[in-house]
Amino acid sequence: MAGAIIENMSTKKLCMVGVALLLLQVLAFLVGGLIAPKPTSYVNPVAMKCVDIRKNHHSSKWFLPWGKGQCKSIQTFDEATNGHIEANDIVFAAHIPNSQFEMSPWFQFMLVVLQLDIAFKLNNYIEDNSMVNLNVSVAYRDDLKEEWKELASSMEQRKLNCILPVEKTVANEGRQYDCDVIPLMELGSVSHKYYLFNIRLPVSEKKKSNIAIGEIRDLHVVCIFQNGGFTMVWFAMKTFLTPSIIIIMIWYWRRITMMTRSPVLLEKVIFALGFSMTFINIPVEWFSIGYDWTWMLLFGDIRQGIFYAMLLSFWIIFCGEHMMDQTERNRISVYWKQVGPIAFGSCCLFIFDMCERGVQLKNPFYSIWTTDVGAEIAMAFIIVAGICACLYFLFLCFMVYQVFRNISGKQSNLPEMSKARRLHYEGLIFRFKFLMIITLACAALTVVFFITTQITEGNWKLGDLSIELNSAFFTGIYGMWNLYVFALMFLYAPSHKHYEDGHSNDGAGMSSGEEIQLTTTITHIDGPTEVYRLAGKEAQE
Amino acid sequence: MQGPLCLRRTAERSSMTGILRLLLVTSLLSCWKQALVGANSWWSLALNPVQRPEMYIIGAQPLCSQLTGLSPGQRKLCQLYQDHMVYIGEGAKTGIKECQHQFKHRRWNCSTVDNNSVFGRVMQIGSREAAFTYAISAAGVVNAISRACREGELSTCGCSRTPRPKDLPRDWLWGGCGDNVEYGYRFAKEFVDAREREKNFPKGSEEQARSLMNLQNNEAGRRAVYKLADVACKCHGVSGSCSLKTCWLQLADFRKVGEYIKEKYDSAASMRLNKRNKLEQVNQRFNPPTAEDLVYLDPSPDYCLYNETTGSLGTHGRQCNKTSEGMDGCELMCCGRGYDQFKTVQVERCHCKFHWCCFVKCKKCTEIVDQYVCK
Repeated sequence: MAGAIIENMSTKKLCMVGVALLLLQVLAFLVGGLIAPKPTSYVNPVAMKCVDIRKNHHSSKWFLPWGKGQCKSIQTFDEATNGHIEANDIVFAAHIPNSQFEMSPWFQFMLVVLQLDIAFKLNNYIEDNSMVNLNVSVAYRDDLKEEWKELASSMEQRKLNCILPVEKTVANEGRQYDCDVIPLMELGSVSHKYYLFNIRLPVSEKKKSNIAIGEIRDLHVVCIFQNGGFTMVWFAMKTFLTPSIIIIMIWYWRRITMMTRSPVLLEKVIFALGFSMTFINIPVEWFSIGYDWTWMLLFGDIRQGIFYAMLLSFWIIFCGEHMMDQTERNRISVYWKQVGPIAFGSCCLFIFDMCERGVQLKNPFYSIWTTDVGAEIAMAFIIVAGICACLYFLFLCFMVYQVFRNISGKQSNLPEMSKARRLHYEGLIFRFKFLMIITLACAALTVVFFITTQITEGNWKLGDLSIELNSAFFTGIYGMWNLYVFALMFLYAPSHKHYEDGHSNDGAGMSSGEEIQLTTTITHIDGPTEVYRLAGKEAQE
Repeated sequence: MQGPLCLRRTAERSSMTGILRLLLVTSLLSCWKQALVGANSWWSLALNPVQRPEMYIIGAQPLCSQLTGLSPGQRKLCQLYQDHMVYIGEGAKTGIKECQHQFKHRRWNCSTVDNNSVFGRVMQIGSREAAFTYAISAAGVVNAISRACREGELSTCGCSRTPRPKDLPRDWLWGGCGDNVEYGYRFAKEFVDAREREKNFPKGSEEQARSLMNLQNNEAGRRAVYKLADVACKCHGVSGSCSLKTCWLQLADFRKVGEYIKEKYDSAASMRLNKRNKLEQVNQRFNPPTAEDLVYLDPSPDYCLYNETTGSLGTHGRQCNKTSEGMDGCELMCCGRGYDQFKTVQVERCHCKFHWCCFVKCKKCTEIVDQYVCK
């Protein structure tokens, strides 16, 4: 890998590449900030309180909050008390979206949470650790004249976390509790136009079901989905980035195969990184517009996971290969100590994701967090993954420290070395420092942007321009890592300049033979004999 | 006063409303002339039921000309946004109810006087009480409009339920339906402030000062709703991490809004009109009021005694608390006139069993309590 393009490039050209990349980066942010709308939207209708007037509550009938075939409804529950209607006769009905709108496959996913308005009464309050039992059924249709078809239905139990912000006194009767949102379901694709939610809260004294949950006033159904416009911008970006990365990958691999030696580990890892980036980039999501692929969310998680695992492994191997400590590495097995935690942590997260989103493919209401045991297991997985991440970063920091120690050691010896060795080491040091800076900049940018979007409102106004920060964050960061991988493959591809040098004989003092030796053993420059011995071994192989 | 808030109605309260009603009748008779003098207000929408616009479409009756208390500008808005009027009425009602709750134990208890001017002549004085009333009713409108907007009842707001032109679903694909509370705020600003904006008072006049005061207090009320709206969020990034978060505004319990505006009432700033026709604080040493603060021009009238010119109803016949040393204590409430003592039987529901809705099984407990009424 000696003689990468980055070393042989003139400063002017390098600056030009840098500026070009920077411009593209700004462009990526602007695409999200100016063109795309905010990443997600929501609708939060208040569920209509329908009354099931039939005697024995057949489950086949759907209750519509409005429109044709509207259910018999009540405004407040006081009406029900006067009309001798019981809690078991109440069906909360919500139609998503409102009548003039249609849901669309461009929304990609749909996340439904519930919010309960519960009033405090001195002798009807929420007991600690109360659970609420929900009998939920969801139906869909694609035409206003069609019959509703069942999508899913289930009996679900959720924790009711509510706090009364004031003292529990007579004077505060009627005040509302502050309740956490209750996650209800998650759909990985929005392939139908209309959705209908029918939710019952069955009361049973025998089974202790829905007892001591206070006096419910309203149920809000909050439905979150990705913005169609954002999806379009996102797809466009993916469609544009895929060929860019593929082209540079082909170019990079051709450069390597053109060399007389077989590729070294670092080159393979960079190629793998490019591959995992392409894996994320490939816009298979286009199919979700036509097909009802509910596993898209899970697939997206897996793709991201693979990329991050690859990126972390790359950093470790890159550090290792620039160690300059006279040890032969060039094999992935040498790095088991560092790559092990990455693999293990990724596996943990994968299992966790399979338990959450994998099971959701079968039952969209499922969530590992709703049961105590499930939540503990999930937490365990996340903690283990967290420990792995910490371990990894300790290793990484230690390696970076070692490299810098070696660099300062080598730098003092540089003037005494032969020209070839000096160039080699200078190249190594430059390459390492360059990547260090770029990586730190990228990581810092990611973190800063993440924090900015978390603490500020999602929208900045500059005069007439309004910038969608959240969208800018997503497109910007996504573009940034793509550019990172692109730059890596471009700048760290083996340079062919020495051939030209050889032809022109400009007296660089670097015979092609020596160049190849340096290439094959990267860090190993102890004595010429050793080098020749190793080179010979390679040749035999 | 018999809204859903007061399920547990005690004899105490019903007797109180009885007295109030009596007072109302007497004051109505005496205020006969005043109704002509006192300016009609849009607050009257709270007391005169606004019929649902559908009925007007069927009956082909002009809704807006029937409503009393609207200014010309408000009437125009009413014609443009007929479906909003019911909710404005509801909002005003919530505001008044909250006002009555907050001032339950005060000498002035926010009682309504007649169906047109609603609060009677007291509102003509630019007092703290007037400031509170303007703020809370503006807040009530924001609250009600936002609520109706979210429920899809209004044709012009984001996620409406009524049919609109065909090209909208594209917008929807691009951006979602927008914020209900913001819509409520904007509409309430248009509607409530219309009354003050359309009049051109001579510069430096008392009327202009009052108009500025009302504008400021209306704004403070509207902002209270906006400020107190809770932000609820849900994380849903990769594997449920918080890299992607969606937040939405949730209207606060209106009691919270009432308490907040009551705090503002207690710290309201006394103002006067300066030479540049702007309101300035009388006492310049204090921090100037922000857009969220209440302001007033005149000192409050004496609410102890009935006074036709100020519109004060007096505290005669009001209930008081013998042991309390606060405003509800008999000493302060009756303004030193003394009180009468009664014994009443109070029936309360006790040992109740509840479900989350519609089912209550209680025993009745009776208790004999002493009641004190101002002379």
